[in-house]
Amino acid sequence: MKSDTLQNALGAIDPALVARADQMPKRARKRKLRMASLVAAMLALAIGLGAIFGGGSVVPSRYTLAAAIYPTMAPYPKGEWLPGFESRYDAWRDSIKERRAYFGSGKDLGDFFSQTASAFLADSGDDNLVYSPLNVYMALSMLAEVTDTDTRKEILTLLGCDSIEMLRTKANAIWNANYSNDGAVTSILASSLWLSDSLSYNTDTVKTLAETYYASSFSGKMGSAGYDKAFRNWLNEQTGGLLKEYIDELSFTPETLMAMATTVYFQAKWENEFRKSENQDKIFHAPSGDVTCEFMHETEVYGVYYWGDLFSATRKRLEDSGYMWLILPDEGVTFTELLQSEEALLFLSSNGEWENKKTLKVNLAVPKFEVSSKLDLAKGLKALGITSCFDSRRADFSPLFEEDTEVYLSKIEHGATVAIDEEGVIAAAYVAMMMAGGAEPPEDEIDFVLDRPFLFVITGSDGLPLFIGTVNLP
Amino acid sequence: MEDHEIIALYEARNTDAIEKTREKYGKLCYRVAYHLLHSREDAEECENDAYLDAWHAIPPQKPDPLSAFMAMLSRRRALDRYRKRTAEKRQYVCLSLAELDECIPDGRAFDETLSEKTLVDILNRFLKELDEEECDIFLRRYWYMDNIKAIALRYGYGLSRVKMILKRTREKLLKTLEREGIFI
Repeated sequence: MKSDTLQNALGAIDPALVARADQMPKRARKRKLRMASLVAAMLALAIGLGAIFGGGSVVPSRYTLAAAIYPTMAPYPKGEWLPGFESRYDAWRDSIKERRAYFGSGKDLGDFFSQTASAFLADSGDDNLVYSPLNVYMALSMLAEVTDTDTRKEILTLLGCDSIEMLRTKANAIWNANYSNDGAVTSILASSLWLSDSLSYNTDTVKTLAETYYASSFSGKMGSAGYDKAFRNWLNEQTGGLLKEYIDELSFTPETLMAMATTVYFQAKWENEFRKSENQDKIFHAPSGDVTCEFMHETEVYGVYYWGDLFSATRKRLEDSGYMWLILPDEGVTFTELLQSEEALLFLSSNGEWENKKTLKVNLAVPKFEVSSKLDLAKGLKALGITSCFDSRRADFSPLFEEDTEVYLSKIEHGATVAIDEEGVIAAAYVAMMMAGGAEPPEDEIDFVLDRPFLFVITGSDGLPLFIGTVNLP
Repeated sequence: MEDHEIIALYEARNTDAIEKTREKYGKLCYRVAYHLLHSREDAEECENDAYLDAWHAIPPQKPDPLSAFMAMLSRRRALDRYRKRTAEKRQYVCLSLAELDECIPDGRAFDETLSEKTLVDILNRFLKELDEEECDIFLRRYWYMDNIKAIALRYGYGLSRVKMILKRTREKLLKTLEREGIFI
């Protein structure tokens, strides 16, 4: 090449310059500001005890007992040209470091995630299903907090904790690991407790819920239009209105004694966007018959390909977050079979720590989809050993109510939605290498075409599965 | 382990030096070579060659920082391999290197009577006069062979802005080299 001499000389420049260029620049912070359009939006909510709750400005103050106080974060620094930028930047970096200290706190939750995914998703039939393991984990943690004896013990067993103290530490760390509120990235696992104003309750438990789970608490007249509205408003606010269809069907009855709700709202952009110009209509082989769908394509991009006895999988990175994992059951393998396979369940919670994997060129074709579902979790939870909270004779809610108050879990519902499209990355994918004439064939390459029912998992920054879902019909 | 402790191992001809270097700078050496060659096997070989080169070079050399020295050895090996494969027409075209051709005026070439040291001195002066970030971005592209996207993410810029910074820096370099009269 013409520049050979220049290339050689560059190789011998001052090592201090070379070393400096390898330091992470402070300017990396700016990319967060560019998260503008929504690429993948997911949210879920889990509702316990027959009703819902709230915790923000949308709930009239007359209902509010205690509003959750979230950790403060230094605001994302803007305006590098303004005085004091460096100190504002350092303060923000310190805030981020505090969050990262919590990463890894949910590493041993693999059993919980795989057991519940199997229980809640295996019978999807021809429907799409979406489930948020993290959301349900937080809801069950709060449920354990307000129960005692066998009722609590069953929940602790499923959550893999020996004691309520251990659960508090873990749930609090998981909450914090997934929290961001710096003005650039917002991610909050919101929780709330809705009490009936006709009952007395233990204020210490309410305080623990506020301090450990950052739950707001409210009190009002069950069955009244005003309290119902406040409850729905809170849920709609926390879920960005994306689950309004389901939420509008929720209301308290005069018999409702208490409701707890947890929500998770998550949005992230692909690190490498799909190019709209490469979208193509293709046939998706749905169980109910072939349908034509718009497929997004990504070609000649190096990725990781995973495989197991019953499936193959790949992943796509989300900017400033985790990954979306796309899992394709082998031909003829049903979701039920897949979700009963120990190997597949292990993979779902492996966060990529998997022996059978290879880095190669992945030509990905995935249909655009928006899937929503409303799941009654009671059946699945009972199958997982949580029974006494549903039984009015055995349920023990003594940490919250006086012992002679008969309380039981009458309903536990989980609504979730996930949508993906091609946008959300700051710029189009750029391929640095191209083939020269007469070149060697590329290294291993694979076409990964999701044109039949598939499974997805979305993991957050610290690798925990935020959402798992089945797509039978995009 | 600190760099000076690793260098002491080299000086004592203790082969643990190589293992310690691998632990600390193996990924860096691999990454530098991989960006250029885009082949895992070749990048691993360049990384291993770099350890051998370091073993022969230290002593008498006493590199500081060791990171840049190791990266430089790996880059040198990768460039050799890249050129060999290019000659055999079985190489991906590395766009970073192709862009550097723009710093040489059409129809002209470097004056081969000039020593490499002269050119290195000119480059050092040129790079040190650049704005710090401009210099770093230039080196990310033409020393570490990062792709544009990776640079954009690293510095929080859009792709077009990175391309623009690189284009302007190349133009400045072209002018500097012309002014120094090193082309024939």
